[in-house]
Amino acid sequence: MTTFIDYLLGGLGSGAIIALMALALVLIWRSTRVVNFAQVGQAMFTTFIALSIQTWTGSWYIALIGALAAGAVLGVIVQYLVLRPVKRNDTSGAIIATFGVLIALQAAAGMIWPGGSQAFPQPFNNSGIEFAGRVWPISIYDFVVIGITALLVLGLTLLFTKTSLGLSMRAAAFNPEVARLSGVRVSRVLTFGWALAGSVGAVAGVLVAPVSTISPNSFDILLVFAFTAAVIGGLDSLIGAISIGVFAGLVISLVSGYSDSGNAPVVALLLLALNLILKPEGIFSHHKARSV
Amino acid sequence: MLTITELSVNYGAVQALSSVSMEVPKGEVTAVIGANGAGKSTLMRTLSGLVKPGSGGATVGGVTITGRKPEDIVRLGVSLVPEGRSTIPELTVEENLRLGGLWRDKAGRNSTHAQVFDLFPVLAQRRKMRADTLSGGERQQLAIGRALMSDPRVLLLDEPSLGLAPLIVTQILELVSRLASESDLAVLLVEQNAVTALRVATTGVVLNLGKVVMVGSGAEIASDEKLRHAYLGY
Repeated sequence: MTTFIDYLLGGLGSGAIIALMALALVLIWRSTRVVNFAQVGQAMFTTFIALSIQTWTGSWYIALIGALAAGAVLGVIVQYLVLRPVKRNDTSGAIIATFGVLIALQAAAGMIWPGGSQAFPQPFNNSGIEFAGRVWPISIYDFVVIGITALLVLGLTLLFTKTSLGLSMRAAAFNPEVARLSGVRVSRVLTFGWALAGSVGAVAGVLVAPVSTISPNSFDILLVFAFTAAVIGGLDSLIGAISIGVFAGLVISLVSGYSDSGNAPVVALLLLALNLILKPEGIFSHHKARSV
Repeated sequence: MLTITELSVNYGAVQALSSVSMEVPKGEVTAVIGANGAGKSTLMRTLSGLVKPGSGGATVGGVTITGRKPEDIVRLGVSLVPEGRSTIPELTVEENLRLGGLWRDKAGRNSTHAQVFDLFPVLAQRRKMRADTLSGGERQQLAIGRALMSDPRVLLLDEPSLGLAPLIVTQILELVSRLASESDLAVLLVEQNAVTALRVATTGVVLNLGKVVMVGSGAEIASDEKLRHAYLGY
């Protein structure tokens, strides 16, 4: 039983990171009906930028803020260069285009930051906390990760429910025509959504880098977990992305603990398949799935 | 207030509107009637910027509106209540209303908001509820309320009677006509249900296959038996 609890605690930090990446995917899906597979590529790229900033300045905080800004800029660039030229209403074309962006970003990162995997310095102590006579499998850094995730979720919730911009974003996502007739500048709002998702993904990247390494392909597995969490959560639900994201972190930790970490992606894909068979519209979705 | 001059709209090779001209004065309701496919909705969608005109245009108080984007046209004082589900079901009543005036300054927005609640008390009662919990008539009131939140000079109403009980249609249209005369609003009402529309309209315009075939007072059109048979089918 103690082992079980230890595995659960050990999964919280990675769960929070998966939740953030899933949130970025959901933010784009809700407003454009496109799954942005380039999201992890963007996060990888901005994490390399954060690493450069950290090396220059020595400050993790400046690196985090730099990644946040770079993520927003990169999100806007991806939208302008790739998604806008792809014909409107051609969502499958847009989704394939995001794969193209992913590959291009990975190739570019390999050229700009050569030398394979690099270590991202530990900003906080990442060894287990000693408390009540034993070492727990959760670190100060895990608490920082969970705290930053909670802050972002709180901020986004306030943005969507309390501000005019948030209302515009929701209206533009649910019914762009009525939004435009109401005076919402929908294309600007969508661009802001890409910037926001880019920032959220960038934070996930900077948070995950110290516990793994960073290379052009190092976040691919994060995409698998985040995509799984987003789909099971219903793709258009922010709460769904967060809760299933954290849940995914716990499951992965349990699977890795009791068997082998190589089995985690298999389990994730099994859960995804099971979900698509039993409840294809996702657990938290507002919409009924179309029957095929 | 709203002047439409030789407006033509094409969908590919099909001419949906051909050289339509009309005047929509303030303080009264002007009804455009005609059968399915007469071009009524195309007219509304063009005036609100959702469809680009082929030639000709429309002005409001002398300012050209045609060819602009919907989000700019609403800022020039033209507000459309589109046909069918024109509220956002996932948002609350309050949010649907707020959406209609987000671009305005806070003071103007708040005063219109209070006016809309006076006009439709049921919306004030249900402000916290999601729009999809409302009845058909309440949802139409919400749609009109959302359009009024931009404080328009011209209100475009596309088939407000669709799917509503006759009694509720009459109530809503009478309210709209009172609103027109009390707040000096120019209302352009598009209806397939000619009898109801002509009852509140000062002027009626009969549209057939994209062309204006008759303009007259509501009573004149309602009493013209030949016209009714030929274009309105009753």
